[in-house]
Amino acid sequence: MGTAMTVAVAVSAFAFGIVVGSLGASAKLSHSLALNVLADFYTTIVRGIPELLVIYLLFFGGSGVATSIAAAFGYDGRIDLDAFTIGVLAVGLISGAYSTEVIRGAVQSVPFGQIEAARACGMSRWLILRRVLVPQTLRFALPGLGNVWQLTLKDTALVSVTALAELMRVTHLAAGATRQPFLFYGTAAVLYLVLTTISTALFNRAEISANRGVRRA
Amino acid sequence: MHRHPPVSESAPAAVVVEDLHKRFGELEVLKGVSLTAREGDVITLIGSSGSGKSTLLRCINMLEIPDDGRVVIGGEAIALKKTRGGASVPADTRQVERIRTSLGMVFQSFNLWTHMTILQNVIEAPVHVLGVPKAEAVDRARMLLDKVGILAKADAYPVQLSGGQQQRAAIARALAMQPKVMLFDEPTSALDPELVGEVLRVIRQLADEGNTMILVTHEMGFAREVASKVVFLHQGRIEEEGSPDKVLTDPDSDRVRQFLSRHLSGAA
Repeated sequence: MGTAMTVAVAVSAFAFGIVVGSLGASAKLSHSLALNVLADFYTTIVRGIPELLVIYLLFFGGSGVATSIAAAFGYDGRIDLDAFTIGVLAVGLISGAYSTEVIRGAVQSVPFGQIEAARACGMSRWLILRRVLVPQTLRFALPGLGNVWQLTLKDTALVSVTALAELMRVTHLAAGATRQPFLFYGTAAVLYLVLTTISTALFNRAEISANRGVRRA
Repeated sequence: MHRHPPVSESAPAAVVVEDLHKRFGELEVLKGVSLTAREGDVITLIGSSGSGKSTLLRCINMLEIPDDGRVVIGGEAIALKKTRGGASVPADTRQVERIRTSLGMVFQSFNLWTHMTILQNVIEAPVHVLGVPKAEAVDRARMLLDKVGILAKADAYPVQLSGGQQQRAAIARALAMQPKVMLFDEPTSALDPELVGEVLRVIRQLADEGNTMILVTHEMGFAREVASKVVFLHQGRIEEEGSPDKVLTDPDSDRVRQFLSRHLSGAA
């Protein structure tokens, strides 16, 4: 139950982080100075302050911001974000900052000749992105994204401060109620380890498949 | 010795370049180059490095956007416009994309897509750009791979092939679009000497079949055999152009003479 919630938060936050990271990387690589500055601002802030603080800021400020955004679109009434949404947003924003850097580096690793060959065949920008740039970027990004995933999974433990019933929170409550903290925290540690081990194996597999056609020495 | 038959002056123009200028920052690489390739022409561009020959080739399919001048492909001028900053850009990217499908490009460094098999490389653009049904594209790709002699490698990835095989695959990829003109940018310069021959053989066959081609090369002997016209560039201008026998054996220009004495080194 707690584990399932942890996985749900981690997966959603990681996915959100990839979307943010892709946008962030495009912004950093764009020719627009405003977008460059905006993306630098985002990654510097989020990576520069403690994760726990990001979660507190979103927990206490998130609903207010959401309400005023909704108001700007003509919705009057208060929006209360639930703990799950806040958790996903907070961890996703943190994850996204790291993904931004990973994806930016990966895009820059794609040899320009690969793109040029696609342009020379008359491919449109969208087609090049879909058929050449994304698959090639993925290959360079996967090892880094595997790392980000592990960080994201562990960062979900911080969301327990919002009383969301994820693994860490449930463990904390159980440890308190039964007065067997070592047993429960130990079990939690094992569960986190199982999750990270499984995901490492999955990422290794994905890397192998993305590296088809690269050195197989 | 084998020679390319002269192309009739009345053959329709496949590529026309008019007064092309290209600058990279302060450096003016092309200083007003004009060139016409008629259907059936095999034009080789020669000259020392930095003479602008690769840039000229890359301007033809707009991989480099010329600052001034016109490029006309099959009678259709590529529309360019100036940005507010003064840079030259295509007025209509769709037009450029469409025209590029009629220009097959072969690069010095092959540039096969590393995440696809050889067969996938060859069918990629026909299927996704031209909308050719996949089965038909595969049949045609196999025929082309057979033609360039690497059908057995159809399901291999580029990294598993030698440079010569990769370049032949890249030629098959370009041919798969059934282009009107083939552009070759130093196709053998990145190859080990013993692999040059197999690539030149394929290019020679394409020339013999009457394909229109523009070729940047350092292989003078080859230029002489396959070319209908040789163009010598020097510092962004055409120094001399004409039949291979004229330009490569009895040039008017002293610069061409010096260049040849360095590059032919005794070979007649």
